[in-house]
Amino acid sequence: MKFAIALFSAAHAPSSRRALLFAQAALAGGHEIVRLFFYQDGVYNASAAVVTPQDEQDLPKQWRAFVTEHQLDGVVCIAAALRRGVLNAEEAQRYQREAVAVGAPWELSGLGQLHDAVQEADRLICFGGA
Amino acid sequence: MSTLHVLSHSPFGDDRLTSCLRVIGADDALLLTGDAVYALQPGTVPCTALNARHPTLFVLAEDARARALEIPDTAKAIDYAAFVELSIHYDKVNSWL
Amino acid sequence: MPKSLLIISRQAPWSGPNAREALDIVLAGGAFDLPIGLLFLDDGVFQLTAKQDAKALQQKDLSANLQALPMFGVEDLFVCGDSAAERGLETTGLALEDVQVLSAHDITALIDRYDQVITL
Repeated sequence: MKFAIALFSAAHAPSSRRALLFAQAALAGGHEIVRLFFYQDGVYNASAAVVTPQDEQDLPKQWRAFVTEHQLDGVVCIAAALRRGVLNAEEAQRYQREAVAVGAPWELSGLGQLHDAVQEADRLICFGGA
Repeated sequence: MSTLHVLSHSPFGDDRLTSCLRVIGADDALLLTGDAVYALQPGTVPCTALNARHPTLFVLAEDARARALEIPDTAKAIDYAAFVELSIHYDKVNSWL
Repeated sequence: MPKSLLIISRQAPWSGPNAREALDIVLAGGAFDLPIGLLFLDDGVFQLTAKQDAKALQQKDLSANLQALPMFGVEDLFVCGDSAAERGLETTGLALEDVQVLSAHDITALIDRYDQVITL
């Protein structure tokens, strides 16, 4: 089965961890993830600027490792990211901001990518809220 | 068509459980995750509402265990592998974000 | 045939970016000519109150985006009758014309009809 997984909550939200565990279980079960799409506060999971206390789970790091290891398509909604200060180098330059918070493997793109994933996948699973 | 509804908010002071129980269909199922497992707390208004509607009920085991909540016989405890399987068994997943 | 997507918008208009970001998903889908439906449920029904004044909160006017929906090809617009009644909202004279008022039973059937759903 092909899954599209969308995440709407920040890295410190329990639902972010649940999304990652679900994604891992989906691949372990032999399924495919067509895209991971981060929207609303979900964009914070792609931030390289998040500093997690050493005795806590580092979700941004784990997401990055997961996407890299499995060569997944990790897309961050550009409008949601800009509003929340999660900029890549290109956007930081465009808007004359000093902080660059996103790099590979994340791609900043539009909501069209979410719709595209919904069309391609057999199942859309959203995580967010609490 | 059948839907797996997923809740993750505490039912106390939140209307997601109430709204979900209003629209959940006969072929649908409900998965409690995160603080939504507090709906299993016996003798409470949410627990009574859940029992009254008695949907096909699943509970993410780790969340019940973390909160020292007993999973009743009317619910099935699941792990993430089973969560994936459920999301395939039902035609779509509706997470109440 | 493209998959249909139902967006269920549950948040009040000025409770943060939720209402606007839900609408953005709908508009983007409409722009790509996809079959999108939008249901206002729970506090989401407050988005339809007429004569709101976004400027009072230095916010953008949501109603302009709502009114743009048919232009984006999104005409399947629904409101939960129970949510409206509980919140003292009349289902006539809403900020959006041509919104179908649904009962809980209708909503069960509505969710069933769509291929995918996002509830935010």
